[in-house]
Amino acid sequence: MTLADAPLAPPVPPTPAEDGARLGFRLTLPAQVLVLFIAVFPLLMQLYISLTDWSPLAGVAWPRAWEFWNGFANYSDLAQDGRLWAALGRTALVMAVCVPVEFLLGLSLAMLFVDEFPGKRVAYSILIMPMMVVPAVAGYMFFMLFQSGGPVNGLLGTLLGRDIAVAWLSDPTLALVAVMIADIWQWTPLMFLILLAGLVGVPQDQMRAATLLGASAWQRFRTIALPRMKTIMIIALAIRVIENFKIFDTLYIMTGGGPGVATETISVYIYEVTTQDLIWGYVAAIALAILVILSVAAVWAMKRMGRAAA
Amino acid sequence: MTRSPIFETFRYAAILIALAITLVPILWMASMAFKPIPEWQATGQNLTWIPKDPTLDNFRFIFGESSSNLIVALDRTAVQPIVASLLASVLGTLIAMTAGTAAAYGLSRYGSGQNLPLALLQLRLFPPMAVMIPVMIMWAFLGFMDTWWGLALIYGIVTLPFAFWLMKTFFDDMPREIEEAAMVEGCSRWRVFTRITLPMMRAPLASAALFVFILNWSDYLIALLLTTREWVTIPVYMASLSSSMTGQLYGAKAALGLIAAVPPVILGILIQRHLVRGLTFGALKQ
Amino acid sequence: MSAIHLEHLAKRFGGFTALKAMDLRIEDGEFMALLGPSGCGKSTTMNMIAGMETPSEGRILFGDRDMAGVPMARRGVGFVFQNYAIFTHMTVRQNLSYGLRMTGRPKSEVERRTLDMAEFLQLTPLLDRRADRLSVNILQRVAIGRSAVMEPAIFLLDEPLSNVDAAFRAVMRTELKQLQRQFRQTMVYVTHDQLEAMTMADRIAVMDHGVLQQVGRPIDVYNDPANTFVAAFIGSPGMNLLRGRPVRTDRGLAVDLGVLGVTPPLAAPQARAAEQARGEVIYGFRPEQTTLAREGIASPVSFVERIGARSIVHLGDGPAVFKAVFENDVPAAVGDVVRVLPHADAVRLFDAQTGKAL
Repeated sequence: MTLADAPLAPPVPPTPAEDGARLGFRLTLPAQVLVLFIAVFPLLMQLYISLTDWSPLAGVAWPRAWEFWNGFANYSDLAQDGRLWAALGRTALVMAVCVPVEFLLGLSLAMLFVDEFPGKRVAYSILIMPMMVVPAVAGYMFFMLFQSGGPVNGLLGTLLGRDIAVAWLSDPTLALVAVMIADIWQWTPLMFLILLAGLVGVPQDQMRAATLLGASAWQRFRTIALPRMKTIMIIALAIRVIENFKIFDTLYIMTGGGPGVATETISVYIYEVTTQDLIWGYVAAIALAILVILSVAAVWAMKRMGRAAA
Repeated sequence: MTRSPIFETFRYAAILIALAITLVPILWMASMAFKPIPEWQATGQNLTWIPKDPTLDNFRFIFGESSSNLIVALDRTAVQPIVASLLASVLGTLIAMTAGTAAAYGLSRYGSGQNLPLALLQLRLFPPMAVMIPVMIMWAFLGFMDTWWGLALIYGIVTLPFAFWLMKTFFDDMPREIEEAAMVEGCSRWRVFTRITLPMMRAPLASAALFVFILNWSDYLIALLLTTREWVTIPVYMASLSSSMTGQLYGAKAALGLIAAVPPVILGILIQRHLVRGLTFGALKQ
Repeated sequence: MSAIHLEHLAKRFGGFTALKAMDLRIEDGEFMALLGPSGCGKSTTMNMIAGMETPSEGRILFGDRDMAGVPMARRGVGFVFQNYAIFTHMTVRQNLSYGLRMTGRPKSEVERRTLDMAEFLQLTPLLDRRADRLSVNILQRVAIGRSAVMEPAIFLLDEPLSNVDAAFRAVMRTELKQLQRQFRQTMVYVTHDQLEAMTMADRIAVMDHGVLQQVGRPIDVYNDPANTFVAAFIGSPGMNLLRGRPVRTDRGLAVDLGVLGVTPPLAAPQARAAEQARGEVIYGFRPEQTTLAREGIASPVSFVERIGARSIVHLGDGPAVFKAVFENDVPAAVGDVVRVLPHADAVRLFDAQTGKAL
C-alpha cells in the first residue's frame, strides 16, 4: 500500500497477525498489571518515603511524608549503620558456608544416583522431601531438635557415651551453626535434584567411551561430565545464592536473629527495624539500596555467564 | 555396567546415611505429635524416640478439646489458621496461574509481553522483605490487612514468576500444528486457546498449579507481616502455641507442623517429574 | 595373547534371552565379523566382550585370562560405538589424544602418536576443529582414530559404518582393513551388512535370535550355509529355497518341487545327502549360479529387475517363488516361461523340518 491510495482504501479487517497481536496483548495484560502493581508503584513509593523521616506512627498518612523530608540523610546513615553491615556480613557468611556445602553434598549424592540400582525411586523420593517441608515448620522442627535437652544432644550423648547439654540456640556461634545445618538439611535436596538432572543428561556412551580409553572416574567427571554440567551448575548455584540471600523463615523461628544479633541476617534485620523500630523512611532506604545492589549484581552475573557460555 | 562390589557397598552406605539424616528430623516431629505430655516434655536421658504411649491428644488440643493434663486452654483453635492457609494459598494459586498461563500463552504464541520473562525473574530475585513497606502501606489503604484475600493477592503476585515461566516452557514445547489446524478450520484464536490448547495442557497445568500451591502454602514472612490476628496462617499461628506456664507446647506444635508439612510433601512427590523444571524456571527439563 | 574365547556365553535381560550359550574362538590378529539382523544378539556379545555388560552365564577369555570381574577400563579393548560417542565439546586433536592423555603418557609421545594417527586417517587439516561441527564421515574416522591410537590388542567395532553415506562406506572398508593389517589387532566387527562382513572379515559369525548359526570364512559361509537362515541371509539376493520331495528318476535322484516340476538330477554328494533325508527337503541354489537352458525348472517370469551389469529375474508365483541372476541383459519378458538350470555342484539340500544342511 502506498501513501497515495491509503485514504481511498476501504476499512481493512484486521489481518491475522494484527488479530493475534491484539489477543496476545490482552492475554499478557493481567500479568503486566500485577507487575506494575507490585514493582513500579511500590518502588516509587519506597523511593519517596526513603527521602523522608516518616514513620507509621508519625500521625500523617504516607502521601504527606514530605513533611518529614530529610533528603539523602537516610542513605548517608546507611554507611554508619554497624548493625546493617554486620547483618550483611553474616548473610554473606551463611551463604559462603551453606551454598558450597549444599552444592558438594548434592553433587556427591547425585553421582550415586546416575545409574540404576534397586530401591532408587524410593530413596530419591525420600531424599527430596526436605525441600518440600514448609520452611517455617522446618524451623520449629529444628528448634525442637536443638533444645539443650533435645534429640541432637541426646544423639551426641549416645555416640560419645556421656551427657551432652550443649545450648545450641543460645550460644552465639553454635546458633549460627544450627541455623546453617537447618538450611543445609532443607536445601541440599534442591542441589541434588537439579544436579542429578544435569548428570543424567551427560551422554552415557561418551562416559563409556572415556572409560574404555582408560580414563578414571575422576577424569571422566572432569573431562566429560563437567563441561556439559557447567550451565546447570551455574543455574543451581545462582538459585541457591539468590534464595539463601533471602534466608528468613527457618532462621527467624529457630533463633529470632539471636542470641542478641548473633544470627541476624539482612532479612531479619529489615524485619526487626520494620516491625520494632518502625523507622520506615530509613527501612525504605535500606531496601532500595539492597535492590539496587542486587540488580547490579544480577546484571553483572548475567553478562559474565553470557560470556562464559559463548 | 560392571560395578565393583566395593562401590555398591559404598553407594548403599552413603545413601542410607543420607536417608537417615533426611528422615530423622521429620520423624522426630511426627513422633512428638503423637506423644503424651510427659513424653514430649522429657529431656536429656528421658527422651523417647518412639512414643511409648501414642495418643491423639495433641491433635485434639489444637482443635479445641482441652486436654485434662494441660492446664492451658487455647484462646483460638487451629481451625481458622488452617482455613486461612488454605484459602489464601488456593486463591493465590488461582491468581498466579490465571495471569501466568494467559501471559505465557500470549508470549509463546503471539510474542506479546517481551518484557515479562526478565521482569518476573527480577521479581523473584528480590527479597520480599525489601518491598514489604510499600505493600503494607498499600494493603492498609485497600483494607487488605489481616484478610485472607489480601494475602492471596500478594501470594498470587509472588508466585506469578513460577506460574509464568513453567507454563511458558510447557507452551513452547507443545506442537502448534493442532492449533493451526483448528484455526484453518475457522476457529477463532480465543476459542483455540480455551477449547483446544488449555484442555490439551490439563496435565502440565495441574502440575504447575500444584507447584505454585506448594510455594504459597510454604510462605511465612508475608503472612507474618500482613496478618495479625483474624486470618493468621498456620506457621504464624504456631508461634502462639506456647504458654507462660508450661513454656513451648512442643506436642501441639509438632501436631500442627505435621498437618502443615504433609500436603506439600505428598504433592511434591506427585509432581516429582516437573520439580526440576519448576525450580529452575524451566531452564532445565527432566 | 589377544585371542578371544567365548565359552558358553549367555545373556538374559529379565525374561528376555539376548544370547544363548555361544561358543566362539576368535584367533589373535583375526578380523571376525558378527553378522545378523537387528536383535540377533551381536551387540550384546560385543558389549560383554568390552565389559559393558556382565554375562549371565559362561566365560570370556582373552588369551587364557578369564575376564570375569575385570572392569572395562582395564580390558584394554578399543571400542567404536555405533553413534561414535565423540566428545563433541573437544577438538579433533583432543579427541584423538584423549586416551593417551588420560593414561598419563609423556607429552611428546601423545603429540607424536596423535599426529601419526591423524595423518593415517587424513585428519591432519581438521585437528583443531571442534568435533560438534564435523560431518558424520569425519566423526566416524575420529572415532576409529581415537581408539586406534591406543593401539589396543583387541578392537571392537559396533556397526561403525551404518550412519555414513554409501560412497564413503567403500572408502572406510578399505581403510579399516589397512588399519588392521598395520596394527595386527584382533578385530571384532558387528554389522548387519553382509557386504561389509564379506569384504573385510577373515571369518564371519552369523547370528540370529541369540543363537550362533555358523562360523566360517566368508566364501565358505556363502557356498555352504549351515542352515536355511544363513542361506537366505547371505547373498544378495539370498539363496533360493524350494520345498520338495526326493524322487528317483531314470537319470538319478532328483527333487520333486510340486508345481515347479522335477529338478534336474542331483550331483553325487547331494544325491547321497538326499538319500538320507526322511520326508521333505529344501532344495537350495544361488540365484547367480544358474543358466537358462533347455532343461531345468520351468516357470513363468513375474518380474525382471535390470540393474546395469546384472539382471534379476523373479520367477514363479505363490509359495514357489525364486530368483535367478544373470550377467548382462537377458532376453526374458514378463509372462515368458523360461527354464532355469541350477549349476549341479551349487545345489544344496536342507532338512525341511530343522532347516539344517544335509
